[in-house]
Amino acid sequence: MKTNGLTKHILGTVDFIFIDQNKCNRCGQCILVCVANLWRKIENVISISEDYKESCLECAACYQVCEADAIEFHYPSGGTGVIYEKG
Amino acid sequence: MNTYDIIIVGAGPGGSMAAKTAADLGLKTIFFERGRKPGEKNSSGCGLGPRMWKDFPSMMKELTPEKCPSMRAGSAARNYFINQEGIVAGYVMARPTESVSYEPAKSWITMNCYRSEFDPWIAEFAIDSGAELKTSTLITDLLKKDGKVCGVIDEHNNKYQAPIVIGADGAVSMVAKQSGLRTKWAQDQITIVPQYDFQASPEKIDDIMGDETLAVWWSAIFPASYQVFFHDGFHQGLGNWLNKWDKNPLYYLNRVISLKYYQRLLRILNAKPRELQSHLLPWLKYPYNTHTDGIILVGDAGGFPCPLEAEGIYPAMVTGKAAAQVAAEAITSEDCSKSFLSKYDKVWKNTSIGEEFEAGEELYNLWKALPFSPQETMSWFVPMFMEVMGGIYDWSQPHAKRVRQIASQIKFYMPKALPFIIKYVFPLVAKIFEEDLDKMMDPQKLMSVIPKVMDLIPKKKKPRRDDT
Repeated sequence: MKTNGLTKHILGTVDFIFIDQNKCNRCGQCILVCVANLWRKIENVISISEDYKESCLECAACYQVCEADAIEFHYPSGGTGVIYEKG
Repeated sequence: MNTYDIIIVGAGPGGSMAAKTAADLGLKTIFFERGRKPGEKNSSGCGLGPRMWKDFPSMMKELTPEKCPSMRAGSAARNYFINQEGIVAGYVMARPTESVSYEPAKSWITMNCYRSEFDPWIAEFAIDSGAELKTSTLITDLLKKDGKVCGVIDEHNNKYQAPIVIGADGAVSMVAKQSGLRTKWAQDQITIVPQYDFQASPEKIDDIMGDETLAVWWSAIFPASYQVFFHDGFHQGLGNWLNKWDKNPLYYLNRVISLKYYQRLLRILNAKPRELQSHLLPWLKYPYNTHTDGIILVGDAGGFPCPLEAEGIYPAMVTGKAAAQVAAEAITSEDCSKSFLSKYDKVWKNTSIGEEFEAGEELYNLWKALPFSPQETMSWFVPMFMEVMGGIYDWSQPHAKRVRQIASQIKFYMPKALPFIIKYVFPLVAKIFEEDLDKMMDPQKLMSVIPKVMDLIPKKKKPRRDDT
C-alpha cells in the first residue's frame, strides 16, 4: 500500500493505460480533464506520467474524452490500484 | 470450466441486487468484484434515497449504524447561492415538506453512508441467498462460442460459463463494450465528478450543522457542488458533462474549497481533507441499448442514473432486480436472445425509474442549463433569486420604495429569465402535467404580456391626497 497525499494505492498492477501516438491528434483533452494531473504534452507529444499506476484514480476520463480513440484503458489488475476508504 | 446459470460482473448495489434476486430465484449465481471487497473502488455522493426503504423495506430496515458506522441522516438540505464575486449571497434551508407522503421520506431527504461500508453490506444479502462472490478478480472479456455470449474470462484467462451475463460494471463497462452495446458514451452522456472527503469530529458536525447535513452550493463561478455529511466527515464534490470543461474539474472544485465562507466552515468544523476521489457518472436523457443476446446492463453500466440529479444507487438496485427476474425467465424458457430479453425494458419502464425517465429529456435539459451552466445562467439567476429572497431585508429606503427597486431589478433580468423559462421550465411543466398548456406555452404571447405586467408597477409614488 502506498499513501501519496490524499490517495492510497495497492501496487503491483500490470499497465492499464496506453496511448497510440499514431492516433493521437494532440488535442489535449486528456490533460484538461485528468483530476490526478497525469498527462503531459512535451514537444507536441502527449504522454502519461511514468508512475501513473501509483496515482491514477481510475475514473477513465482520459479514455472517455479522447475522440481520436488514441487512449486505451482497462482497470488495473484485480485487488490492486486506488483504494477509496471514504468513497 | 466453471459453469453457472448466471454471471454478474460487478458487486456494487446493482450487481449485488441482481445476484441476490437471481440466487433467491434458485439460479446458480456468481458475481465478480475487481477490488479486494465490494465498495473499495467506488466513490459517490453518497446519499441513499428514501425510495430504497419504500421498495426494499426488509433489507433497508437492517441498515443500522452497527453495520454502517458512517451513517448520518441528511434530514435538512441547505442551498447556498454564490454570486460572481464568490460571495455567499444567501442560503435557504429546507426539510421534507408537508406534501411528502411516507416514512422515512418525511424524516430525512437522504441517508448518507460511505460506499466502503454500504457496498459490502448489500453484497452480504446476495451471499446469504447463495450467490458466490469472487473478489480481487478483474473480468476482461466475454466468452463467446459461435459468436454467441456464453460467459466471461478473467485477466488470468480463467473461464466462467453461463447463458447470460449481467453487466453491473459501472460507467466504463467492459460488458457493454465487448458485447457491442456501446464503445464509449457520447460526451454529453457522461460526467466527471471529482470529490474530496473531509474528516471532522461527529460532535462538531452535530453542533455546527445540526441536522442540516446535505447541501448544494449553487454558483455563478463553478458548476453546482454537493456536500454530504457522514458520521465523521463529509464529501464535497461537483461534476459536469465531459464536453463542458474549460479548465480542469479540480480547479473548479478547489474554487468551492477556497470560498471565504467555505474556509470559515472548515475552520469551525476543524475539518481536514482525508481523501481525493474521482469517478465518471453517466447522465442521460433516456437509457437505450440496455440489452442484447445473452447480455443485460444495469445501473451506471446501463445509463440509469436519474436524469435530473444523477442519483445512481437506487436505479442500480431497481434495474439489478429487474434484470435478474427477466434473466431467470429467459433461462427457464431456454431463450436468452435479444428479442426475449427486450422484456427487461418493459419491466424497468414499469418501475419508478421508468416513471422518472418519462420526463428525462426535460429534466436533463433543465439541469444542464441551470446549475451546470454557471456563466450562462447562474450569473443572472443568483442575483435575481437573491433580489427576491433578500431584497426586502433592507432599511436603505422606505419599504414601498424598496419594493419598487426590487421589481425594477427583476425587470432588468427578465430578458434573460423569460427565454430560459420558456425554453426549459415550460416544456418540463407541460410534460409533467400533460395538459393543454398551449396558451401558457406561446412564447410570443408571453413576451408581449409579461413586460406589460411589469410596466404596471408604478415607477413613482402617486401623490397623496393631502399633498395636493
